[in-house]
Order: sequence, then structure tokens, then C-alpha cells
Amino acid sequence: MIDLGAVSAFVYREARLMDELDYDAWFALWREDAIYHVPVDHNASAGSRQVSIIKDDYTRLEQRIDRLKSGSVLAVEGQKGRARRIVSNIEILNEGEGGEVEVGSNFMLGIARTAEQQLWIGRTIHRLCPTEDDFRIARKTVLLINSDREMPLLQFLI
Amino acid sequence: MALLQDAEKLTGEAEVRGSVYRDPEIFRRELERIWYKVWVYVGHESEVPNPGDFVRRQIGLQPVVMARGEDGKVRVFYNRCRHRANLLCLAERGNEKEFACPYHGWTYANTGELIAPTFGDGYDHDLERERFGLTPLARQDSYRGLVFASVAREGPSLAEHLGGVTEFLDLFIDLSPQGEIELNAGAHKVSYRGNWKYMPENSMEGDYHGPFIHNVAFDLYARRTGFDVNDLATDEVENVILSLPGGHMVEDYRGAPINPPKREPSPERQDYIRQMKKRHGEEKAAQMLSTMAPLLYVFPNLMYVITHIRVVQPVSAGHTHSYYFPVMLKGAPDEINDARLSDHEFMFGSAGFVSPDDVEIMERNQIGMRAHGNDNDWLYIGRGLHRERLLANGARGGMTRDETQLRGFWRHYVSLMEGDA
Repeated sequence: MIDLGAVSAFVYREARLMDELDYDAWFALWREDAIYHVPVDHNASAGSRQVSIIKDDYTRLEQRIDRLKSGSVLAVEGQKGRARRIVSNIEILNEGEGGEVEVGSNFMLGIARTAEQQLWIGRTIHRLCPTEDDFRIARKTVLLINSDREMPLLQFLI
Repeated sequence: MALLQDAEKLTGEAEVRGSVYRDPEIFRRELERIWYKVWVYVGHESEVPNPGDFVRRQIGLQPVVMARGEDGKVRVFYNRCRHRANLLCLAERGNEKEFACPYHGWTYANTGELIAPTFGDGYDHDLERERFGLTPLARQDSYRGLVFASVAREGPSLAEHLGGVTEFLDLFIDLSPQGEIELNAGAHKVSYRGNWKYMPENSMEGDYHGPFIHNVAFDLYARRTGFDVNDLATDEVENVILSLPGGHMVEDYRGAPINPPKREPSPERQDYIRQMKKRHGEEKAAQMLSTMAPLLYVFPNLMYVITHIRVVQPVSAGHTHSYYFPVMLKGAPDEINDARLSDHEFMFGSAGFVSPDDVEIMERNQIGMRAHGNDNDWLYIGRGLHRERLLANGARGGMTRDETQLRGFWRHYVSLMEGDA
């Protein structure tokens, strides 16, 4: 039996690391076989030939982190505002072999940019693998409510 | 600098007035004189492969539908019920045998004819159905599956409008061994707080801004693929930058070959190379496969940029939408199309590593443009003016970082905006 409390604590911690731009600590949460997927079409799997907003394997995720950390990317600078997200509705959706667990949650993310305040809303499905005393992310899928609409820059962790 | 005394002029030989990006009155004039006058790209036939398939689009601010009828023909209609003007089609895309208006239930065939008004006994039996079919755009034509339409009943033909740019459209479409592209991998949709004209200007800029805003991304890309963008365009190469009559812009990289990959191509890729040679001949195929396909802009809203067809869609003077459709090459091996899609996701979209820097710049441009007091409202686009070359068919060529193409864009823009309506 997976403890919902332990899973929730992991999801909250991941959210805080994203809010606080703690890129290295966030990246350390991922397994090397991980997939990070933000589709345009919620029904398209990461394996389908449909364009995604983000479809990162571990290598590309590391590039994403390198870029965010580089400090010389205009778009990142322009988006780097004060960000805070509320994560809620955490549920265990599935439990697999070896303690692997699929977790669903919803989020609302507010970002204060130079000229506007943005609200990003979506649902996250985490597939988490247990380690000795923690979890690692095997897969994370983020379903934005506006994924197939015209959207502003998404130059932050979601 | 004579134009600086002329309060009415929008541009000079190498100057552009900032108000063209800012002024709602100029935006309104653009709708009338550009968007509702010239040929506007609507979509690609491969987006509606089956009878009944449709996609929603816009021409200027007017909603339209591109639909393939039961008869197999692709048509562009105004997205408006002929009864009382309700938005007929809300879905972005889909398949319908009939379009039914949600308001009072009038229905139309996917070929556009009115099937029936509702409660028909209340109309004079002479209500002419043919009078109330969906209104098609005044003119429609296509080039190799690219569908264009025009609100204006009269004007140059599509072939005249495209002119010399077809040579460059062919160069990327012919990367398919069957000579057909497919827009069937979805689209990124982006929104920015800036004028629509930044998108073509910035997208076709050659290599002037690259070293300043894309260096981190280019470095990551080089590490990933071994292909360093800086190898391509660091030095100034002649006639990379082209301005074509009609306001079209091209970055033609045929004179700037890419270093061949060190790896032996896979059997699938070797087969692709064979097919390309068979179709285009040894010499042309070798050129197409050793250089980057041209980046191009067809006035006013169609671009091809490395991996995708990009459409620019004005919303208001200071707000724009843009759509990036990854181009899949029909008949090419999965390996090639998968790599195209993966490269696309690397570079483009709201979370990509390249185009977001351009979007950020466009938003800052719109803010910088507000500082226009004390005769400060002129942009300068004079790079390479002294060495601009007149080429065949009225084209003009410049070096990799010249602004020749921008000057051509603005000459055409002004010819539409300042001429007699």
C-alpha cells in the first residue's frame, strides 16, 4: 500500500522547487529513463507523431535545465517573475509492480510578469517509482487547459 | 533624410515609422488594403484529406472555414450563417456532412448549399435556396496544396502574386520524395503582445540577431546534433538574403552548404537519397540534401521556417497570434519525419529553445516603440544598402546579415497602403 501522505509530500516538494527555480534539485527528482510530456492534444500519446509543447527525454530535459540556468536567455529573463502554484486534488490513480504509483493532481500557477499577471491551470499525472526513502519521476504528463489555444511563452517549469 | 520633414510618409529608403506597429488607425487601413485585398494563405489541402473534413481559419479578422466537400473539392467559406450571422462552425477542426447553425438550425451541405431553413412553412415558398448558400471567398486558388483566398473580387492572379517565390516553395516541398508535404502533425499556437509585422521581419532576418538572442540554443543544438548553425552563416555570404517583388522575403542557403554528417546514413535514408536523385537528378538532389531549405515569407501571412509552415494572424495593432504547423514529408522514411518533429519541438512553440527568444524580443519591441517623442519615431533598416544587388526578375540580393529583404517588404507594404485605394 502506497502512503498518500508520502506521495503528496513529494508532489508538493516538486511544486516548490519549480516555484523557487531550484533547477538542480528539481532535475535530481527524475529517473534517467523519464519522459516529460506537455501535449497540445490531450489525447495524443508521447509516442504519436503529433507536435507537443514539451516532449523531453532525459537528455533534452537536461538541455532545458542548462538553458534555464544559463542566465543569458532573453525569454527566460522576461518570464522569470514571481511564481507560485497551488497543487490540489491529489489522488493515487494506479499502483503497479514494485511500488510504482500513478498520481493525479491539479494545479493553478500564478506568474507576475513585467506587464501582466498570468494564470496557468492544468492537471498533472505523475508516474513515480519508489527509492529507499523517496520517489523518482518516471513520467510526468501535464495537461494544460489551454494547450490547444494561442498561448504566451512557457519558459518556466510546469 | 527628406522624408523626415514629410509628416505623412510611413517609410523612407531605409527608414520605417514606428507608428506602423502601433497605430490602430493604420491597423484598420491594413485590414482594408492588405488583408481584404491580396491573396491570403488559408491552409493546406492535407489538413482536410477526406470529404467533410474542415478547419477553422481567419482572413484578417474575418472567420472562415476551409472544407472538403462530398465532391472532393476544397472550398473556403465565410464562417457565418446566412440567416442571422451566427458563427456557423465553432470547432477548430472536424468532419461534418452538414453544417448546422446552432442558433435557428439552418443546415448547409459541406459543399456550401443551403439544405433547408427550419420551420420552412413560414417562408414564402419562393425563398431561393441558392441565394442562401454559404458565401465563398471571392477568389480561391492553390499552389501545390497551399490554399489561398482573397476577399477582393479582382486583382492579380495567384500565380502573379506568388511570382518568383514558387522556386523557393518548390525547394522545401520537393524534400518529399513524392513532392507532397503533409500538415498532419498538429500545430503550436502562440500569442504575443506585439504587432504582426515583427513576425515576418524577425523570422526572415538571416543571421543578424542570431548571435545575440539564440546563442545558448544554437550551442545546445550543436552539442546534440553536431550541426553548428554558426558554420552555416557566420560569414557574410552573397545573395542569401533576397527580396522578391510582391513583398516576399527569402533566405536562400544554396550558396552555404552544411558540412556532411560523419555518420554513415541508415539504409532508409540511403533509399530516400536514391529516390531524390531519381526524381531531381544527381546534381539538384545533391544540392537539396547538402544545404538547408530556404526560409521564406509569402506576403502577407505565410512562412516556411526550417521545420514548419508558420502563419501570422493579426489580432490588433499590438496583439498577434501565430501558428506553427510541422511539415511532414510524404513518402519520406519515419526516421526523417520523426527527426523533423523532434527538431521542431526543440526549437519552436511556447516552450521551445529558439523561437521564444524571438517572441520575447517582439514584445519588448512593442514597448520600446512607445518611446516616440521628439522626432524619435524612425527605425533604421539600412544594413547593406550600399551593396544591394539588383538580380533577375526584379529581385534584390544582400548578404547574410543585410536588411535588403526588409526594405523590399516595406516598399511593397507602402505601395498597398499609400496608393489609391
